[in-house]
Formats: sequence, structure tokens, C-alpha cells
Amino acid sequence: MQTLTLPGSGRRSINWTRGVVVTLAATAIFLPLLLIFYQSFLNAPFFMPAKELGLDAYRFIFEDPDFSVAFKNAFLLAAGLTAIAVPLGGMLAFLMIRTDLPGRGFITPMLLVPIFVSPMVMGFGYVVSMGPVGFYSLWAKDILGFIPWNIYSFTSIVVIAGLTHVPHVYLYASSALKSLGSDVEEAARVTGASPLQVMFNVSLPMITPALAYAAVLVFFLGFEVFGLVLVLGDPEGHLVLATYLYKLTNKLGTPSYHLMAAVAVCLVMVTMPLVMIQRWLLKSANKFVSIKGKGARSKAMPLGKWKWLAFALIFAWLMFTIIMPMSGIVLRSFVQYWGEGVNLRDVLTLQHFREIMEQPALMRGILNTVLIGVIGGACAVICYCAIALAMHRKPDGITRFLDYSVLVPRAVPGLLAGLSFLWVFLFVPSWLDGMLKGMDNGVALWLSENAIPLLRSVRSTIFALWLAYSVVWLAYGMRLISTALLQVGPELEEAARAVGASRSQVTRDVTVPLVKYGLLGAWLMVFLIFEREYSTGVYLLSPGTEVIGAMLVSLWATGSTDLVAALSFINISLVAIGLGVALRFGVKLHN
Amino acid sequence: MNELTVNDLHLDYGTGAHANQILKGVSMHLQKGEVVALLGPSGSGKTTLLRAVAGLESPKQGTIAIGDRNVFDGAKNFEMAAEHRNLGLVFQSYALWPHKTVFDNVAYGLKLRKMGSSEIKDKVSDVLKNLGLGHLAERFPHQLSGGQQQRVAIARALVYNPPVILLDEPLSNLDAKLREEARAFLRELIVRLGLSALMVTHDQAEAMAISDRILLLNNGKIEQQGTPQSMYETPDTLFTAEFMGSNNRLPAKVVQRDGANVMLDIGGAKLQGVARGAGSGEPSTIIRVEEVKVSATPVENAIELPLLTCMYLGDRFECLFKSEGGPEMSLRAYSKHRLEAGKYWLQLPADKLWVF
Repeated sequence: MQTLTLPGSGRRSINWTRGVVVTLAATAIFLPLLLIFYQSFLNAPFFMPAKELGLDAYRFIFEDPDFSVAFKNAFLLAAGLTAIAVPLGGMLAFLMIRTDLPGRGFITPMLLVPIFVSPMVMGFGYVVSMGPVGFYSLWAKDILGFIPWNIYSFTSIVVIAGLTHVPHVYLYASSALKSLGSDVEEAARVTGASPLQVMFNVSLPMITPALAYAAVLVFFLGFEVFGLVLVLGDPEGHLVLATYLYKLTNKLGTPSYHLMAAVAVCLVMVTMPLVMIQRWLLKSANKFVSIKGKGARSKAMPLGKWKWLAFALIFAWLMFTIIMPMSGIVLRSFVQYWGEGVNLRDVLTLQHFREIMEQPALMRGILNTVLIGVIGGACAVICYCAIALAMHRKPDGITRFLDYSVLVPRAVPGLLAGLSFLWVFLFVPSWLDGMLKGMDNGVALWLSENAIPLLRSVRSTIFALWLAYSVVWLAYGMRLISTALLQVGPELEEAARAVGASRSQVTRDVTVPLVKYGLLGAWLMVFLIFEREYSTGVYLLSPGTEVIGAMLVSLWATGSTDLVAALSFINISLVAIGLGVALRFGVKLHN
Repeated sequence: MNELTVNDLHLDYGTGAHANQILKGVSMHLQKGEVVALLGPSGSGKTTLLRAVAGLESPKQGTIAIGDRNVFDGAKNFEMAAEHRNLGLVFQSYALWPHKTVFDNVAYGLKLRKMGSSEIKDKVSDVLKNLGLGHLAERFPHQLSGGQQQRVAIARALVYNPPVILLDEPLSNLDAKLREEARAFLRELIVRLGLSALMVTHDQAEAMAISDRILLLNNGKIEQQGTPQSMYETPDTLFTAEFMGSNNRLPAKVVQRDGANVMLDIGGAKLQGVARGAGSGEPSTIIRVEEVKVSATPVENAIELPLLTCMYLGDRFECLFKSEGGPEMSLRAYSKHRLEAGKYWLQLPADKLWVF
């Protein structure tokens, strides 16, 4: 029998698609960041004609007492948040995964709420439910005669931030516990350890790598906290780095881009090492899980007399971090006004929603939010997938470069990323324009007349916002996709290569069809985070690019509480729909 | 006196319509100083029974008592937590705590029992020395070989002198060469320390070598129990006979039955066999591979078959005989020497040719 050979020669060709993907990704990642660095070393905004290189911007912020306070506060907040969230998250994971805690079924979906609801909305929820005239504050005052808390103090902000970050730790701790063989715990129980002793002596020590990773993650998130402090820190004037950056605009009156860039560089200098530590820890965490027992299903550990105490503590936490702020927003969006001596039944209204319908900008914002989640989310997943495939099973220099590059945007907080993209859209067209005019030939002039205005107009379209969103969440999206890709056994692809498929045919005919459902799940997750995102849009907000998140920040600044409540309610509903769909179809909400 | 008594134990996985019955009424006992093996194919419920005794699974009904302490009583809805049962359990995966040293792994049970640190030190080094691990106390589990890890797991289970030690497939994680050494070591240890042990295994050779008594489980029920010798030599059921050794199954027809003696027709030849067990349903005829005697000349109670091939096993040959045409029939037999191609007479001794 004659061997059937493939048509065409065996010569290897250059992979053009990969080259384009890598170039575009690297541009989108590094151009904004380079611009921030460049701007920080100028003594005036880059569009000013009179500008010089220098360290003036750094000198100014280092001499500003507010900056040092903000820096110290950011550090304290991150440290306090970590100290609260890590132990609680670890214990919560143990109770949920390993014991016969009552009500696990209904607690699981609740745990996801603080992760997917925008911190801006959460902060606002605390103001309306537990602020000086909040619903719960006034009810507490009716019963006790005084309000037993002050949520505007810095300590309260740290506690609230800590408690709302417990689910982040929970997710990592619980997945580590799930992959930990239960035999090591059973061995401890047979030896005579009670469930609590098992938790402290065996389970939590054994998932130390996951807890360490989660600790660095929440410390990093704590450094980035923006919305929560913006809302809760305002009345008493508590600043952290992100809010300091935001307030700089108001401080000098003129656009002080060079100062903002300098603050941004300081922020990135802290977050970048944290992101790299996370990557390193994640790698070593994966190695540690190699000790596995039999995958036998194991009986939940009976908690005995601790059962109801544990349940009460978890319920108290749920009450404080989820039920109170969420119910506060729902109530506030349906009442006309609220204060002491107001009867709830007299002030119920749909007025705020009607008001939103009457304002085209707000309606456009809601539509944009849905569009950026659904269509933008799909486009983002396609881009992430292209990058992931460019890295998939090609262990070479380019893959290593991308591997680190996709982490870089993670270190840039959303507020900053929005700012840097604004600069890109302002800077690049004028720079190109200048260059083309200087070239002085027909084609260049034609380009400068036709292409540059087009490029300029991009800034005020939703595309600008989508690009910023996609880059900000690049690292997150890449993890979603690469988790799906890793599930495809290498032998399936190797088998296709062996029967004669080229790399691109393998991708098209084997890999992508196999990860189809993983990609759909990723789309849903990206939808959820795009709905939640608020800080990235703040500086890109212009007529046409309104999204709920950014509008909440600007409306909050003008003090229109009614509209903020109603918009928050709509935002929560959008997230709830997404979460409902995700739970209905069994999408893995974390890995 | 019984160290462990299990009475009519039932256990399901899942509930309601999806309930999957794993144990369907198992009763057993274990006397002081006795080693009992729970033997059976995968899915027979042997590990589940062991875990139920340890308190890691919740049975549905029945009772479990350790000594005179009741630890489970389905009728009274009473179940003692695993940590209060005071048993020693050696896991198949060893389940050593990777973040503790060998010493700390073994000492943990004593620490939980609030023993003084000097006393713990003495006891732990005693037990480690007993198991030949004295010099490894400061190592971490991942720095040990498989055989050493297994001995640490045993030391950890023995250190607080539990009345019964439970072993879940203790040898299955070792490679073949090491397994034989470990088998001898385990038997020697059990005899030397006078342990009462319940061991789960799916390997009948391991069960016969180590235990005093074997409980053969099949599909959640005890098929047969007895000493290793009685289980191997006088099985009551076809399942037991097939599980305990390597067998030839013969396409035989029963021609005549006279008490225990049976006249068989195997491919035209008339042979004498012996009836075993209750004998319900379609009769099956088997003979152990090692009982088939190969002869070049005609002998009594034999069938004639051509040789297909011989496989060299080191200490002997395993020869495969297969009929040419006629009814499909193949037989395996051992031979000291390599056999030449040709036809042979395979003698099937009447008292070893079992009809169930």
C-alpha cells in the first residue's frame, strides 16, 4: 500500500498571525505605561508647548503632606485588610468545604456578591444603610438611643474593606482545599483531633501557599482600593493614593498631568513587585498541591456543638457585608428622601427611575454598560483567546515575553489605566500629525488631513473605553482562557499533528472546538467584571462613552444621591442577571 | 474477647432514589491478637467497611463496637466521631502531613492526648526504633522512600497503642519488588507486637500471607470467610474459587451425579470431578492452573490437547494448550521445562476438578 502524503512542501513558513497578535498586544500594554513614565518626567502636561524634562513633578508630590498621608493610609489599609481577610477567608473555606455547616447551599452564591458588585456601589450601600442617617443607623438609634458605629472613621473603612475582601481569600483557599486530598485530614481525625484542631494543625498549614498567594493578592487589592475610600473617606477627609490621584485634578484647578503621572509611577512601583510576587507564589503553590490522596469522596466533618456558633458568625458576616449594604441601596432607590422621623411607607416612589429615563445621557450610559458587557465582552474574549493561542504550547522567548507582559496591566489600577489611555488618544494623533506634517509629501499630508481626525474621534467613542477595559482585565481574562486551554490534553493536539495537520489547522480543528464551552464561560465572567468596572471609565467619560460605573463616580461628586441609588440598583440587577445565568449553566466562577 | 464487632451493617452512598447500596448487611468480628483481611474486587465495599469502622463513613443501620464500647448503633441513631474512637488507621496513600517532620507526624497523636513532651519523645523514639526509622526522625516525608513513608504511617497509627489497627491497602503503593519485603516486614511486626489488625486488600496473595483469617466480600456481602488455607483449598462458591487463585474454566457437561462425585463430558472425553458448594444454576467446572499435570503419554482422567505456546516465568514455564477445531477449549498448565510442540495429555485430578 502506498503512503498517502500531504500536499505542499515541508518548509516552515513564518507565522504572520502570531506576529500581528504579539505586536498589537505589546503595543496596547506598553504604550500607555510608557506614556505615564514619560509624562512623569516632564514639568508640564505633554500638550503644552513649554515643557522640559525634569524631576519637578516628583519634587512637588514628595513635598505635599497630603501625599505622604495618602501613601501611609494606603499602606495601612492594605495591611489591615490583609490581616482581617486572610484568617477569616481561610477559616470560612474550611467550614464551607469540609464540615457539615448548616446552610452551605445558600451561602455559596452569596459569597460571590462582594466580588462582583462594584466597590463604589458597596461603599454607597454602606453610606445609605449605616451612615449617620442610614436606614440601619436610624433603626439602631430607635432601639438603643444612639448609633453604635461611625462608618466614616478610618478604622471602619479598614474593617469594611477587610470584610468585603474575605471572599477573594475564600476562593483561593477553597480551591486549594478541594484539591487537597481529604486523607491527611482523616488521618488527623483518626489520630484524635477535633475538627477545629484539624483545621489549625493540618488543613490551613497545608494550604499555606494558597493563603500566601491570597494574602499578597488582597494586599495588592487593598493598595488599589478606590471607590470605597472615595465614598466613605470623603466626610472625614481620609485619602489613599488612588483617591489622592483623583483629587489632584481639583487641587490645582489646571490639568496637572505631570503630577498625576508622578503619583501613578509611585503607585505602580508598589504594585508591580506585588504582581510579580503573586506570579511566583502561584507557581510554587501549584507545585505544592502535588501531594494528593485518593480522590475518594469524603463525609463532611461533623462540627458537633460548634455548628451553630460557626453558623451565627458566618451569618453575622453575611449580614454586615452583603445584606445590609445591598438592602440599603434597594430601599434608597425606592424612597423619595430619607432622614430621621420619616416613615418608610410615606416616601416610597419610582420617581428616581423615571428621572433616569428622562435623561438621555443616563439612558445611553445604561445601554453602553450592557453593550460593553455583552459585545465588548465577546470581543475581549476573542482578543484574549488570540493572545492565549499565540502562547499555547510554544515554549519560546516570545511566549515568555507575553507571559510576563500580560501581567503588567494588572499592576496598573483601573483609574490610572483610564487616564493613560486618555493620554494615548490625545498624544498619539497629535504626535503623528506633527510627524506627518514634517515629512512634507503628498501622501503624508493626505493622511494628516483624513486619518488623524478619525484617530482623534476615537477618543469619544465606546471603542476607547472597550480598549481600556480589555487591557485592564487582560491578566484576568488570560487566566480564564489558559485554564480552559490547559484542559485540552496535549496528546489530542499531538495526534492531530501526527496525522498531518499544521499548527493553525490543529488550532482551528481541535483546540478551539474543544475549549468552546470554556470560552463561553469566560465571556460570561468578562461580562460580569465589565459591568462591575467603574474606575477605568472615570477619565474617559465624555458624551458617548458614558457607562454606569463612571457615571456613579461623577454623580456622587455632584451629590445626587437619588440618581446614584437608582443607578446602583440597575447595576446590581445587571450583575445579578449575569450571576444567575452563570449559576444556572454551572459556569465555574473561579478556578 | 472480641476487639471489634460489626453486626448487620448497611451503608448507602447518596439518598432516596439515587441511593447506591455499598454494604448490604455485613457482620464480622476481630479477636485480640488476630489479623483479619478484608478481601474483594474493587467496588465490593471492603474499603467502605474499614472507613465505617474508623468513623469516616456513616452507615445506615447495624452496630459497630470496639471492645465493649459501642461506637455506632443505627437503631439508636448513635455515632461516635472518628476522633473519639481511638483507632489506628494506615492510609493507602499514607496521608503523611507534608508540613511536619517524621517525629512530629508520629508525635501528633500523643500531643492531642496531652502527654508531657519528654514522655512523647521517649515513646516516639521507641516506636520509630521498632520500625527501623530511628535515624529519620528529623526528615520530612518527601525526603523518604516509599517504604519508609509506609513505616512512618504505621508508626503514627501505633504510637498511642490503639486496640485495633486498620490498614487500608497498605502495600499497594509500593513497587512490586519492595512489596514482598514489606509483606514479610508487616507480618513479622504484627506477630512481634501482638497487634489486632483489620486489613483491606484486593490482592489474595497478600491477604493469605499476612492474615489469620480472610473475609471475602462480594458486592457488599460476605461471600465466605475462613483461614487462608481453607479459603484457597476448599472454596464454597465459584466466586471464592475464582478469586483466590488462577484457574482454568472448562466447557464441561455434567453427565451423571452421584453424591459429591460427578461424571463430566469435556469435548468428548469422560472425566471424574467433585461437586462443591450449593450447586444452584448452571454448573461451572474449574481447576487451578497448578493442579493440571502435563504428560506426554496417556494417563487417567485426562484430556488430550495440542500445545500452542510456552511463556517463561523464571522459575517455570506457563504453557497454553488450545483445541484445534471442535469446541473452543483452552487450558493453562505449569511445566518445569520448555515443552516441544505437539499433543499432550493433561491430567485433571478428580478431587481438584471442582464443579460448582
